[in-house]
Amino acid sequence: MGEAILFWFFGGLTCVLALLVIVMRNPVHSAMALIGNLFCIAALFAMLDAHFLAAIQVLVYAGAILVLFLFVIMLLNLKDHELGNARQTATKIAGAILLCWVAFKLIFRVMPSTTAGFPAVGDDYGTVETVGRFLFGPHLLPFEVASILLLAAILGSVAIAKKKLW
Amino acid sequence: MSNLVSFGYIVPELLLGAMAVILFLLSAMRRRNLLRKTIFPGLAILGLMAALSVLVNRTSGGIFGGDPGCISGCSLFFGLLATDPLADFFRILVISATTICVLISIGSPALPKGRTGEYHGLLLVMCLGMCLLSAANHLLMVYVAMETVSLCSYLLTGWDARKCRSREAGMKYVLFGGVASGVMLFGMSLFYGLFGDLSFQGLHLALQGSGALSGAMGQWAATLSVVFMFAGFGYKIAATPFHMWCPDVYEGAPTPFTALLSVGPKAVGMALILRFFYSIFLFPGSMETVIGASGQIPWLLLIGIVSAVTMTLGNLAALVQNNVKRLLAYSSIAHAGYILMGVTAGGQEGFEAVSLYMAVYLIMNMGAFAVVSLVEKASGSEELQVFRGLGKRAPLVALVMTIFLISLAGLPPTAGFIGKLYLFAALLERGGFWFLMLALVGVTNSVVSLYFYARVLKSMYMEKADTDLPTIPIRNPAAVTATALSFATLFLGLFWQPLATAARWSATLFH
Amino acid sequence: MITLQHYLVLSAIVFSLGVAGVLLRRNALVILMSVELMLNAANLALLGFARQLGDTTGQSLALFVMTVAAAEAAVGLALVLALFRGRGTVNVDEVRSLRG
Repeated sequence: MGEAILFWFFGGLTCVLALLVIVMRNPVHSAMALIGNLFCIAALFAMLDAHFLAAIQVLVYAGAILVLFLFVIMLLNLKDHELGNARQTATKIAGAILLCWVAFKLIFRVMPSTTAGFPAVGDDYGTVETVGRFLFGPHLLPFEVASILLLAAILGSVAIAKKKLW
Repeated sequence: MSNLVSFGYIVPELLLGAMAVILFLLSAMRRRNLLRKTIFPGLAILGLMAALSVLVNRTSGGIFGGDPGCISGCSLFFGLLATDPLADFFRILVISATTICVLISIGSPALPKGRTGEYHGLLLVMCLGMCLLSAANHLLMVYVAMETVSLCSYLLTGWDARKCRSREAGMKYVLFGGVASGVMLFGMSLFYGLFGDLSFQGLHLALQGSGALSGAMGQWAATLSVVFMFAGFGYKIAATPFHMWCPDVYEGAPTPFTALLSVGPKAVGMALILRFFYSIFLFPGSMETVIGASGQIPWLLLIGIVSAVTMTLGNLAALVQNNVKRLLAYSSIAHAGYILMGVTAGGQEGFEAVSLYMAVYLIMNMGAFAVVSLVEKASGSEELQVFRGLGKRAPLVALVMTIFLISLAGLPPTAGFIGKLYLFAALLERGGFWFLMLALVGVTNSVVSLYFYARVLKSMYMEKADTDLPTIPIRNPAAVTATALSFATLFLGLFWQPLATAARWSATLFH
Repeated sequence: MITLQHYLVLSAIVFSLGVAGVLLRRNALVILMSVELMLNAANLALLGFARQLGDTTGQSLALFVMTVAAAEAAVGLALVLALFRGRGTVNVDEVRSLRG
């Protein structure tokens, strides 16, 4: 029962905040809604016994990515008229709603239906140790490639965003 | 195979990664400008050549000696990477493509002088990602390698600091790419949930073993997840309906990099599609045995339709372009459609045709972009007008461009003709009404494409330049590379046997 | 009883909202945020399936998705910043020197 209450609370909040992300006119408000949304999703991860991933979600997303978003929004310092008018043509909204409805219907229809709850898993499922053993065992190569990828992304971003070419 | 043993088999990738790190480190130091100009391209080419020589050394016995060469079938890193001729063939292709790109880049005004080190480092990282993607045998590896390629391409597309166009193209590329990778990821997670595995071998076993999918729901879900994943793959090769980014990005990106972008990701995307569909849905070495769940997913139909629509749309849109870069962008979309014909045909012939056409396409398309880069450097624009009177002003450049255009149109005696011949032969070999229809669409499209390639020729030879346009200097690496590539195009059009042997070897999956 | 289905439907909703954001909004920053929503929806489905299968591979993939999302956000924001310097807008409809 407790699990159900938590799920409906966090799940409902996730949906509301995701909606806020896409309807807010000011990007700062969108970013704030996104932070809340990502926290709720982290809670859902924890409910799925992915403890390590839940912690990483908070650290990486809320701690790093969203701070980056806020910094850039601050740097851009958009004036009110630069936010663009929220004018949405009726056809565009109708099109988006129709597309979402179709996509949602389709995805919802095809999801494999289950009535039973989750099977039991061992205590060590989703802990740092289990995931770590995977990362340094069978998934070592992508782990190393990810480090090169991050290095390239950092250097490239700096080279692009830096104003002066020395 | 375990991790430690596996590292011995990815020496080319390790060399590329090490050289990229060295370039990044060197670019952090200050030094005189003269050194900067030559040392970075030199080091990049050194790294690429080292990787290429390791690969050639490893494969030459396999290609021409007759023995399968690489221990085919065994998988590295606990199944993350495959070691087979297909992977090695495409590795050689992308490393050559990156080398050509480095050569064309020398002295290009589109690349900021102070950022040469980072530029070459990113090129090497992108090459590393492409090498890994051509061997990826596991959806996790596919995702990581594909994102490595994508991130480097976003950055390099937006590299040109002088033009907002370049930044704009980079931003559009990031937005489209992010959506495509999100959709692909959602498809992957559905597929994972349905079949309980991410490795291609595991998925193959799950698909064949599970018998029929549970009811209409399961079939819908599996088809939808395959379509979602194909969105990610199709975005890499610029197939319709995931091609919208392509003309804008090709036009905005620095021209030397556009040359690589139009060839590298397309090649590895094709390798990925071949490996994914043919190793998951079919028994190795057979075409007909379709049992269990894989019989219920209409993947072959999907690829065939995408192929026909892609080439038709690409060719029709190319008819009205006045910017040569944009024209070549639409032409590259059309070529993705042609190559997908080979993927649809499948089997030994189909694989061979895809490998062969990809190699030929690499030579002629990079050559054409090299010429555009030369013209752009001299006259500051790549509109069709600046090509007027090129036959008078710069006869050699015009001749080289003519060879590439004839080859792209698929006329003899060039390599493009041989490539098309192999593609159509593969489809005819397969037989069957729908395969013949697809071949017919391909032939019609080739005829249509003659028109817009001829427009460029007409502009070069028949029309007079309205103002005095500058001549084009030919004593630089880019011009030499273009000339060498045009020789290769002609040579392979007459003596294609060595390339065909290598392509046949790359299709060992079907031996 | 909370089952896998609940999580999958939730992930489908978030994914659809992300797609809607990409289609409706013209502000590049908000589009990037919508892409983050899509990636998170995929991660949620992935972890749900992994929990159902009792398999760690799915969790490993989810971790890589987060890593790549961080890199992608950095690259996207750098490009937005560079474009804003040149054009003074982050509206993808107003930057139109490329057309086709």
